[in-house]
Amino acid sequence: MKALLNKELKLCLHPTVFIYLGLILMLLIPNYPYLVSCFFVCNAIFFIFQTARENGDAMYTAMLPVSKAQAVRARVLFVVIIQAIDLLLMAGMCAFALVSMPEHNAGGTDHSLSLLAFALVLFAIFNLIFLPSFYKTGYKAGSSFLKGAIGVWIWLMLIEGLMIASGTMAGNDSAPAFFRFISENIDCFPQTAKAWTVQGILFGAGLLIYAVCTFLAARISVKRYDKVNVQ
Amino acid sequence: MKILEIKDLRKQYPSFLLDGVSFDVEEGSIMGFIGRNGAGKTTTIKSVLNLVHADSGTVLFEGQDLFANETACKKKIGLVLGEFNYYKRKKLKSIAAVTKAFYEEWDEETYQTLLSRFALDPEKKVSELSQGMRVKFALALALSHKAKLLILDEPTSGLDPVSRDELLDIFRDIIEDGEHSILFSTHIISDLEKCADYITYIKGGRILTSTDADSFKDAYRLVSGEAEQLEQYRHDLIGYRAHAFGFTGLMTRGNAERAEGLKIAPADMESIMIYMEREDGHESAAE
Repeated sequence: MKALLNKELKLCLHPTVFIYLGLILMLLIPNYPYLVSCFFVCNAIFFIFQTARENGDAMYTAMLPVSKAQAVRARVLFVVIIQAIDLLLMAGMCAFALVSMPEHNAGGTDHSLSLLAFALVLFAIFNLIFLPSFYKTGYKAGSSFLKGAIGVWIWLMLIEGLMIASGTMAGNDSAPAFFRFISENIDCFPQTAKAWTVQGILFGAGLLIYAVCTFLAARISVKRYDKVNVQ
Repeated sequence: MKILEIKDLRKQYPSFLLDGVSFDVEEGSIMGFIGRNGAGKTTTIKSVLNLVHADSGTVLFEGQDLFANETACKKKIGLVLGEFNYYKRKKLKSIAAVTKAFYEEWDEETYQTLLSRFALDPEKKVSELSQGMRVKFALALALSHKAKLLILDEPTSGLDPVSRDELLDIFRDIIEDGEHSILFSTHIISDLEKCADYITYIKGGRILTSTDADSFKDAYRLVSGEAEQLEQYRHDLIGYRAHAFGFTGLMTRGNAERAEGLKIAPADMESIMIYMEREDGHESAAE
């Protein structure tokens, strides 16, 4: 696995991955849907698959002393590492933003644990759609990314829309209490014990969803790729 | 001892069937795997290595099930599928650095010797190499991890005659210790005449014969005769070429020995393959 990861890093990694990871700076834009930065990381992952495909990586890897299953697992692990780096950068940016821009984000989710939880689910959706779709053929990176991107954008618009709506409706007494709950406990940097608990649960759920979806994605991908003829 | 045993390998494509391919590679020998383009040589090799998912069949490497012990078996196999056409924008030294991390048995000294022997500059990118040099780079990688079996698919295609001859010498050196073996697919039959101990002939996805090189050649005879004799012997001819003065063709040794009035000569591998592939006969333009 170490040798395979080394191969991913030295041969498959596309330079734009660093640029896309750098887009985490978007979290410093005032009033912006910050989950969009995660979509760019998905884009970076697509570039890795495309680079590998264009360079005949499937055949090169098949000639090495590894099974197809090991090759798939290594690539999935590489994806997880990139997403983990993005989440760590995101956590750092959230901490920095707390000091530098404590105002409420009118454009979507605030810098918070909730944002990390939503990002985890976003990556989970992308992995569950994109990876098995790609490994069905071993070469259809574009259409697989399109399917993954649709899933990601549905989630992104749903969540950021809900956060914008809750921020707008919270001050309205006639609005459902649900919006006030979101505004006071989810779409904010946690300052109360209740908010910490709610966001902690959300983050835990996000981690669980990410772990389960990525595990399933890897499992389905391994099964599908085993049937693919490397040409 | 058999280093590789292929048993009843089968793979169905919409327009091609690899039909129960079976043959063995003996330790310390070179097996020439011949057949015309599209006969199933590459599909067989890819199925053996699980690159192509075979529908059925077994492959044993040193007595072990290769599909069940893929990683361990592949560490002892050096594979060259034509020229090195991967990561063309990377330098040879970068690709070698990544590749060698997969092999505990990597022999840097051998690799460096091969680079010098093949005049390969590690600072060059794959895209800067000619077709022949890319084959040599693939061979340098495959020969540097002390593989017990080398599986080479068309390794000499694209090489100049001097390089091909040099490569055949290397192959002979490799098997000299009696512990290493080579499975070598090609349609350049003259290369096999120089080095193959055994021959496996595949046609239309089926193995026609798998035997030692001398027996393979000895089983056939080249015959030639007058035009009026053609009708008499047409059914005994495996393949033939008719021309203005008569015909030349291929017969089994038994049929050739029974034939009367024909000129008989030993058959070379290239003639055997050519006549077997034109088994329905061919009327030349001269006629």
